[in-house]
Amino acid sequence: MPLITPWRSRALTAALLAAVLTTSTACGDDAPGTSAGGSIKIGLLASLSGTYQAVGTEIRDGFQLYLDTHDGKLGGRQVDLIVADEGNGAQTAVPAATKLLKQDRVSALTGIVGGGSVAGVTPVLNETKVPLVGSNGRPELKDVSRVWHTSYLSDEPGAAIAQHVRDNVKGSVYAIGPDYQGGWDELRGFTDAFGKIGGKLANADGKTTFTPFPATTNFLPYFARIKASGAAAVYTFYAGSAAVDFVKQYAQSEIKDIPLYAAGFLTEGGVLNAQGEAARDIYSVLNYSPDLDNAENRAFVAAWKAKHDGSPTTYALASYDAAAVLDRAIGAAGSDPTPEAINTAIGQLGQIASPRGTWQFSTTTHSPVQKWYLRQVRQDGRALSNTVVGDLATVGR
Amino acid sequence: MTAVAAGTNRIDPYLIPALDGVAYGLLVFVAASGLVFCFGVANILNLAHGLLYAIGGYTAAALLDGGWASLALALAVGVLAAAAAGVLLAGLLTPVATGNHLSQALLTFGVALAGGSLLVAGFGPDNPQVQVPAALEGSVMVAGHRYAAYRLVFIVVAAVLAAALYLVVRRTRAGMLVRAAVDDPEMVACLGVSPARIRAGVLAAAGALAGAAGVLGAPIIGPGTGTADTVLLLSLVVVVLGGLGSMAGTLLAALAIGEIQTLGVALLPSAAPFLLFAAMAAVLAVRARGLAGRWRSA
Repeated sequence: MPLITPWRSRALTAALLAAVLTTSTACGDDAPGTSAGGSIKIGLLASLSGTYQAVGTEIRDGFQLYLDTHDGKLGGRQVDLIVADEGNGAQTAVPAATKLLKQDRVSALTGIVGGGSVAGVTPVLNETKVPLVGSNGRPELKDVSRVWHTSYLSDEPGAAIAQHVRDNVKGSVYAIGPDYQGGWDELRGFTDAFGKIGGKLANADGKTTFTPFPATTNFLPYFARIKASGAAAVYTFYAGSAAVDFVKQYAQSEIKDIPLYAAGFLTEGGVLNAQGEAARDIYSVLNYSPDLDNAENRAFVAAWKAKHDGSPTTYALASYDAAAVLDRAIGAAGSDPTPEAINTAIGQLGQIASPRGTWQFSTTTHSPVQKWYLRQVRQDGRALSNTVVGDLATVGR
Repeated sequence: MTAVAAGTNRIDPYLIPALDGVAYGLLVFVAASGLVFCFGVANILNLAHGLLYAIGGYTAAALLDGGWASLALALAVGVLAAAAAGVLLAGLLTPVATGNHLSQALLTFGVALAGGSLLVAGFGPDNPQVQVPAALEGSVMVAGHRYAAYRLVFIVVAAVLAAALYLVVRRTRAGMLVRAAVDDPEMVACLGVSPARIRAGVLAAAGALAGAAGVLGAPIIGPGTGTADTVLLLSLVVVVLGGLGSMAGTLLAALAIGEIQTLGVALLPSAAPFLLFAAMAAVLAVRARGLAGRWRSA
């Protein structure tokens, strides 16, 4: 037998393997949860492993911080917090949620990082009639009767900053983002609102440029197009390691002097440390910044810094607020806080005081009607930090 | 505006993507040449090749601190670690019959999965950041355009590496053995050179190349959970496009991939997700032997 098989068969093997690799890298009944002793079971589902581990950890720590600063009680009842790992998405989230809802029979569920996980868990929530006070991912949902979110809808950051960009940028704006549901929503929020008030996109065909996700790690070809388009500013949304690549390469590229506006996740949390100097001066829009000047925020940030390195993120804040929502709702649900009673009580909360400023649930989407802030990456002591430089629109529907 | 000015304006925006394509292509060349050697010379299908690159990448992330000394240290450690991993692979492959691609694929893929998990366990699931020497952190002007200094220097270094590789293969005894093993493996075995030795040597060399690419290329294709897959995939595409026999073919294929991934994306952004594989399919359909002929022509 010859030691070397014919070249054709090896080329075929290589081609087949390439094909395989490409496809594989593409991803209660009566009174549960309460007991006679006045305690209540709450389930927290968040990504404690995998791609979104950093966000999941912030969400767990934000909720825990509220409990720690309120004697471990919500609505006057001792909380038995059961934490489960969401993993990378619905595939791992649904079994974990099913255990929390059916075996542990929690009275309410909170957390959940991914929008896909929320969509996957919703049928189990409807079956067990338990409310979800989600603190991050929020997909398009038909029925939100038991689903509440303390975070935001994905198209709101862009909608909130559009007027500011229109007023301050003299010329057209180039819109670019990652090619997946979250990216489409974030960019659509901006381009729709921007177009309505007469803003013009610099993109060649007048439509947002979407980059393959997560395959794109080199943004230089896109920067060349932005340069050629003559744009006066760029609007973008990236998160995680794509945000680090985008910002670092932007700062070294030929468009480094074009102002960069972004949804706040571009420079939020750990990615800002990784970006370092490259992130300086970037404008972003978010519903929270650790330097907001109000009593709730000062207490929140001080309590956070006593336990953790660095400042809290919007993820930790949303989870902290989810605990605050449950605190008031369980208290208002009376002597027998069934999941049904808690759900009804959440709908009647009205204004909620929070470190981000006062907000309330929208009656139609069950997500916050809240104020958005314009932030800029500036020097804060020894580190760079997102500093609030102004208020933007109050958004929610 | 004159016609001449309009002409340069049409080309001008694509200068930087074209230049970046060279940087990317040379990185792919250095990373893939190890796999091509393994496959072409030792007839080993090494699906753990991406892992060897990732070892270099993680080494760079762990050791680089912004100074030149740390770059030299990371390069030495990364090359040695990846070469050692290559020798280990050669040892594991000893019982597997030469040319039995299915067993080799299963074994090396298993090693790739286990090794990938070990790297994640050791370095965490986040993509670690790589700090290049401070002098290369900034950007320089090239023909009126701003371009990352590190990438410009990388082009020079990778070109030197490629030239050195060419000289080693053409002018040294080891290179002669390698070429002989491609042309007539039975005769090389008859001459008294143990196939096991060639296998270990080739895998060590492949590991060293991948490790060097991993360290130097870390600011371009950075270490992370998906790095091993990305590099293996690109290397396999190089094999398909460039064939196994010649360095010229490998270089041509790698540069083509670089330009497709940068210039191609700049010209046709809407086709970005499938440009590379469309090119691969087109080459397979038109010329199943790859872009270049066999080794002798090199």
